[in-house]
Amino acid sequence: MTAPVVDALGTYCPAPLRLLRRALARVAPGDEVVLLADDPLIEVDLAAWCHEHGHELVSLVRDEDAYRGVVRRGATVGVDASGGVT
Amino acid sequence: MVTGGVHLDHAAGRPLDPRVRAAMLPVLDAPPASVEGVHEPARRCADLVEEARGSVAALLGAPAEAIVFTAGATEARNLAVKGLLSANRRLGGHVVASAVEHPATLACCRTATRDRGELTLVGVDADGRIAPSAVAAAVREDTALVCVVHGQPEVGTIQDVAALVAAARDARPGCLVVVDAEETAGVLPVDVEAIGCDALVVGGGAMAAPPWTGALYVRPGTRLHPVVEGGLQEGGKRAGAQDVPGVVALGAAARLAAAEMAGRARAMTGLRDLLVARLTAVPGVRLNGARGDERLPGHVQVSVEGVEGETLALALAARDVAVSPGSACSAAGKASPVLEAMGLEPPWTHSAVLLTLDWRLTVDEVVFASSVFAEEVARLRAMSPLAR
Repeated sequence: MTAPVVDALGTYCPAPLRLLRRALARVAPGDEVVLLADDPLIEVDLAAWCHEHGHELVSLVRDEDAYRGVVRRGATVGVDASGGVT
Repeated sequence: MVTGGVHLDHAAGRPLDPRVRAAMLPVLDAPPASVEGVHEPARRCADLVEEARGSVAALLGAPAEAIVFTAGATEARNLAVKGLLSANRRLGGHVVASAVEHPATLACCRTATRDRGELTLVGVDADGRIAPSAVAAAVREDTALVCVVHGQPEVGTIQDVAALVAAARDARPGCLVVVDAEETAGVLPVDVEAIGCDALVVGGGAMAAPPWTGALYVRPGTRLHPVVEGGLQEGGKRAGAQDVPGVVALGAAARLAAAEMAGRARAMTGLRDLLVARLTAVPGVRLNGARGDERLPGHVQVSVEGVEGETLALALAARDVAVSPGSACSAAGKASPVLEAMGLEPPWTHSAVLLTLDWRLTVDEVVFASSVFAEEVARLRAMSPLAR
């Protein structure tokens, strides 16, 4: 099965992480989600966020003007800081 | 017998379908809720939005996640042109658009290339057709975006958009192609896979949803920056509170259009051909745009010798026959850029009126309107020194 792609291009942190969290909530633990983002902060934020929430950052590659991250879902996803279920 | 006048100005929107209205009303009366919320009304709104997304996607042969809801087709055009160019700068700064695109598309292309890049307009033939070879010739190594309209909103010519997309891709495989289907989605079969475009503009008005509703299809995997920023609505591609009643209306209209499209097109085509026959029977009246199956079923634009389009539209309005002078989308009183692109010259470029149909009109209404048209043309010509 092809991993779902979260297109967060043009949004700024923490929006890409909230969109990623929403997508992770729709896949099973152990499944992967691809994140596309072009906010340079993603380079720092994605690894920290995955570590904090128990997900695995499989890869993060800069492709010219954007980043492509692959994240493997951990056991739980939870509720985001704004209160929205994601 | 016709009472209460005849409305022949449906290019920017058709009367709300009562079934679409019925779908909207409970949402208008429900507690307002952000689809991002955690409570039951919010979950209900989110479910309704996703149901509508699925319906619009199904109408276009697209996956649901490819649909971004917007406030009307013009916002979708802005998002397509500006969002695709912004997110794909590495492709280059050159933009190709047909000379008969909707004015909003052309404005977006001009804005996007004002400081960076260049815009090339592709000409059309005498009926407003865009030639695939002309698109191919305009595409360069730095062409990032190509814009082509499916059903031209002013003269009604239907373009072979699949051939135009293929021509653009043959010339530069990586370029992005936007198709404007405001006048065709929900009216004629539109299949984004068969067309092969990267983005496609949809408007609610053509399918009897509110004209302020719309959507943009974006091929999954295509990079797009939001134009309206600041929230996660529509996957971050269109921030701001969603118009949930409008979205529900568009979804309901899409389901109805899918089920009733053939009958609507058949009804409008019959009325259109009757209207064309009666209008062009008036001496000095010429039909603009393509004929037969190459013309939108609801569009009739004619130029009238010896009469200005705006004057004729006002005269018809005074007789309770509503038409549009030339284009529903261009400034009144100016020569139509679309007609100029088709090679028409004054006075034909200034003497056009656009009559657009709805499948719920009757033969009697079309006959009445065309009789009033003939009377008003004769009256105005009798007053005009130019026509004597």
